[in-house]
Amino acid sequence: MLKQVMSQYNEAIMDTDRDRALQIVHVAVDLGISPEEIVFNVVVPAIELMMQSISENQGISLAQHFMAAQIASEVVDEMVPLFAKAPEIVGTVVIGTSQGDFHGLGKRIVSGCLKAMMVEVIDLGLNVAPERFIDEALARNAQVIAISSMMVHTATGENGCRRVRKLLKERDLEDRIRIAVGGAPYRFDPDLFKSVGADGWAENGVTAGRVITDLIREVRR
Amino acid sequence: MMTGMERLVAAIDGTPADRIPVFCNLLDQGAKELGLPLEEYYSSGEHVAEAQLKMRAKYGYDCLWSLFYVGKEAELLGCRKIIFAKDGPPNVGEMVIKKYDDIARLQVPDDITSHPAFAEELKCLRILKAEAGGKYPICAYLTASMTMPAILMGMEKWLQMLMMGPNDLRDELLTKCSDFFQKQVAAYRAAGADVLVYSNPFGSTDVIPRTFFNELSLPWMVRDLTPGGTSGIVYYCGSARFNNVIRSVIEHLGIGVFYLSPMDDIAEGKQLVAGRGLTCGVINDIMLLEWSKEEIRAEVKRMIAAGKQGGKFLFGTLVMPYNIPEENIRTMLEAAYEYGSFECP
Ligand code: B12
Repeated sequence: MLKQVMSQYNEAIMDTDRDRALQIVHVAVDLGISPEEIVFNVVVPAIELMMQSISENQGISLAQHFMAAQIASEVVDEMVPLFAKAPEIVGTVVIGTSQGDFHGLGKRIVSGCLKAMMVEVIDLGLNVAPERFIDEALARNAQVIAISSMMVHTATGENGCRRVRKLLKERDLEDRIRIAVGGAPYRFDPDLFKSVGADGWAENGVTAGRVITDLIREVRR
Repeated sequence: MMTGMERLVAAIDGTPADRIPVFCNLLDQGAKELGLPLEEYYSSGEHVAEAQLKMRAKYGYDCLWSLFYVGKEAELLGCRKIIFAKDGPPNVGEMVIKKYDDIARLQVPDDITSHPAFAEELKCLRILKAEAGGKYPICAYLTASMTMPAILMGMEKWLQMLMMGPNDLRDELLTKCSDFFQKQVAAYRAAGADVLVYSNPFGSTDVIPRTFFNELSLPWMVRDLTPGGTSGIVYYCGSARFNNVIRSVIEHLGIGVFYLSPMDDIAEGKQLVAGRGLTCGVINDIMLLEWSKEEIRAEVKRMIAAGKQGGKFLFGTLVMPYNIPEENIRTMLEAAYEYGSFECP
């Protein structure tokens, strides 16, 4: 039965049909599938399947990413309080857009996927100053600072990732905190993340989940 | 020597020319050219026109722009705050639609040309027309109805409304944006713009699924374009890919110029257009920040080799980032002139 739920849920996600996806989940819970199984055996695999389709180049549109993240985040919000015991958190991420950048969609998609993967996400919002990224990461004990930028000048500017890197170095925090970046400029120039001093980047929200959890594990090792 | 306009017309008609047309979209660079901060530069149509003419003469490419920045369109619909950077494009800094009720309040100006936010652009267009009209194509940028809400309420809220409704409000907003588009395109045509770049990321299946394209994107594009027709209209998805919808766009909209994504396969795009229009190969200009001279030349050569055969081809850029070194701009253009030339003009 779980298999059937999985395939129906996947189909609803690909069709960007939120109401159907939520209905499938609710019916499944009524039929006795546990909230843990819903999250770990339905929602997370759906995100992973999407990741696989992308790497196989079967065009997944932005709208599908958005809906997958949106629905995943809604289901997780609903299911986690019903877990038999509180889930183990993989780690903590502070996320925001770089200074001067007011484009929040990428960040929202990334956050939704991270949440489904049991990463605690602290959203610092738009136009975040480099100092604030560091201060909040320290205050929240985050392993990763995630910075989203839609334009070249906000990705490469002196008050973006470059400055966050510099501050980490100056304060001797590089062992404790990793930087992940993403957004359009990084997709047009796949090496750009290195020149701004980031530890990793991802092309889309679902792969961001994997890249960021890997960075968290690096720090936690 | 041919003019840019003669080259463009030759490329559209498939008649002989000295070389393919080359479009280099320098916007913010105009401020550098005049030695002005961006905010001051964009406050005056005279500045923009002067810099556009200067840069075209200096580099020798084939187009002129009347576009200041995309956020201008939001100003026409009531946005009063633009955020200026020192080394990048201005951005909308205030959402005209903050809550759903604002959709009902949104007003499309009756006469766009008399709107204060349009005055400087109109000034710019008049100067360009007087100085270079008929010699160099004057380009205008217009946001499609389905993309316009992204700068009125933010891409995040808009995508949510598009995908999850409420559909009656979505349609009310789209109707207003489409009415606005129709007025805007008429105003630009009347003011003498030759090339009308119709920008619609929602016309790409990188952004929305194919079924959505068929059921919603296409009908709204038909509504946008029906009263004014497709003369001068360029299909452009904000640099998202669109080879796989070219056939539908030709069939349902009758558009004849395709400004591809750098990620689209140029040869494939040209094959799909199949002589029914002009295919524009577009360079991934963000890489011009980093590429060496050799890398730039090799990329331009590769692109032109993929599209030049048989003509009906143009070489172009996206919105060139402000910090691309001048030397790299020249390297790209010289390569485009060289590889894009036809042996017997
Ligand atoms: C849609 C779009 C528009 C729309 C809507 C803009 C808006 N307000 O959001 C319109 C047509 C209005 C527009 C306008 C402009 N745009 Co625009 N636009 C695009 C387009 C096609 C998609 C952007 C988008 O929303 N993507 C959806 C989001 C979700 O994708 P994303 O940000 O890439 O995020 C994904 C990944 O990158 C990743 N990710 C994101 N963040 C993070 C963070 C981390 C940590 C990780 C790991 C991963 C990650 O996951 C996300 C989900 O899959 C891109 C080109 C492209 N193909 O990407 C150009 C693009 C972003 N635009 C560009 C520009 C320049 C502009 C303008 C400034 C032009 C101008 N001169 O006025 C204006 C600005 C308008 C404004 N805000 O005032 C440039 C930016 C590059 C540059 N030259 O600086 C681009 C790249 C196009 C280009 N190549 O020229 N644009």
